[in-house]
Amino acid sequence: MAAVIQLTALTKRYGTTVGIEQLDLEVEAGEVLGFLGPNGAGKTTTIRCMVGLLSPTAGTVRVLGLDPIADHKRLTPQVGYLPGELRLYGELTGAQHLGLLGDLQGRTTPRRDELCQRLELTTRDLGRPVRDYSHGMKQKLGLVQALQHDPEVVILDEPTEGLDPLVQETFYALVSEASQAGRTVFLSSHVLPEVQRACRRVAIVRAGRLVTVEAVAALREARARRVRLTFPDGHDPATVGVDARWSPTWSGTELRLLVHPDEIVPALRRLLELPVTDLAVEEAGLDEAFLAFYRHAEADAEARQPKAPAWGARPWADRAKPGRR
Amino acid sequence: MSARVVLYRLALYRRRRMLLALVLGMIAFETLIIVIARTIPPEQLFAGSVRQPPSAFRAFSGSGGEVSLASYPGLLGAGLVHPFWIAMQLTVVGSLGAAAVAADVEAGTIELLMVRPISRARLLAERTAALVTGSILVTTAAMTAIAVGVAASPRLHDAVPLRGVAAAGVLGLGLALCIAGPVLAVSAAGRHRAQVVGATIALGAVGFAVNFVAQAWSAVSFLRFVSPFHYYTPADALVSGTVPVGSLTLLLGAGLAGIAAAAWLLARRDLAP
Repeated sequence: MAAVIQLTALTKRYGTTVGIEQLDLEVEAGEVLGFLGPNGAGKTTTIRCMVGLLSPTAGTVRVLGLDPIADHKRLTPQVGYLPGELRLYGELTGAQHLGLLGDLQGRTTPRRDELCQRLELTTRDLGRPVRDYSHGMKQKLGLVQALQHDPEVVILDEPTEGLDPLVQETFYALVSEASQAGRTVFLSSHVLPEVQRACRRVAIVRAGRLVTVEAVAALREARARRVRLTFPDGHDPATVGVDARWSPTWSGTELRLLVHPDEIVPALRRLLELPVTDLAVEEAGLDEAFLAFYRHAEADAEARQPKAPAWGARPWADRAKPGRR
Repeated sequence: MSARVVLYRLALYRRRRMLLALVLGMIAFETLIIVIARTIPPEQLFAGSVRQPPSAFRAFSGSGGEVSLASYPGLLGAGLVHPFWIAMQLTVVGSLGAAAVAADVEAGTIELLMVRPISRARLLAERTAALVTGSILVTTAAMTAIAVGVAASPRLHDAVPLRGVAAAGVLGLGLALCIAGPVLAVSAAGRHRAQVVGATIALGAVGFAVNFVAQAWSAVSFLRFVSPFHYYTPADALVSGTVPVGSLTLLLGAGLAGIAAAAWLLARRDLAP
């Protein structure tokens, strides 16, 4: 299947500051790709290159086979975009915004009424100046303007920011419907559950570089195991010698550890030698898996330095090589 | 909002109150000048040493030397180079110049506009058209007030033909566009509206000061050629009833050069907040 979004060695620098470096990524038609990374990782820079607001320092961007800058007028009618920090004209009403942006889009807006209804933007809301809107209402308006013309490609930067849980449910339904209708969705976020919920694949960026592209299911399988050990009352924590690489945290007599799945069996054998009264093993949350990716990517970077590599770097670092999909 | 010229209409809509205030201000100010001119009888106007003021006063009369400040056209011309008149024109140029690009970049709204099928050339064209419309509105208001005053006063009408008022208005618009060109270039390259407003004030105030100093001090008289105010002589236009084509061409040429620079800069910049 042809890639709808194709980034090849995309690099954007601001003077000496790196926005994004050598990013290779492809998104296929009908796919919902999560683009994950902490603030400052280069997510918004990448997206702005994809919609033609920024010109790449090097590399190429193709969306629907078109260059976002050279083919701007041909590409943009087919794209719906929600910026990460949505800024609106405070004195204009919601309805005026939707009319204005719809007119500029140059396409009919067949979904406007339906989207307003589903996202609970009433006629009364739309008649008020947006300076009176809450953050969540502005975000809902942003979603409507991005989707009202039923675009082929939807690019959303932190879309659920400020949305209440009920509206978030509607948002996930909209994304799912878009995917089923063959639309391609590129969803940037720093909130892992959001990506887990909406996407099949996730690309993780850190410090301007692609860390990995993984299926969400694979990321879930690879996540660490959380081990909880309970010690008898009065037991001295200082006598429990566990490795710092397992991120030990004490809560009363309970010790919590995060252990990589490849090491869980030998780790448990060692831990059972301790005077524990209870032991539980469970899958860590996806958030923790996400953080582990960063930790081990950092460890990988350190391992390239002339010193001993940190624990756990190898199995995770193999996936963490930039450009790997 | 109409699907056509949306960016043009948006820029004017958002500044409609400012433009209304400036139009009313211009009418009030020029009406005041007319009232003052009508209260001075000719024998007082042309009496004493005021007949030959220092040459630097030409900067305040809006004449290249043909028209004395101590005359009806000189007084009306003074109203068209008065700092108040200049400030109101600069407000239009600065505000709508900033609105062209820099204000949207600073506010972040550029991200909503430019992810749609709008070329950068179209953005600049519509925003330039909004600026020109604002200048036409304010200049027309001033000239209408003067024309009504001149038509209503036989004494003023004898000295100033109505076509002279129109000619002075065209020259005033030329001055505004001359300053607007470089201001649009600053807006096209800038990220903050303060940069654009600063450039507008610098061009207006420094331009006026250079023209004044060049006329007051013969050693630097050559500097007057770099000031747009040297080519802006509304008092002469009021008397002659014709637009000085050479001066107008230079003013418009400088403005168009600025707009061309703006287009070049805008095509090459990143458009993100």
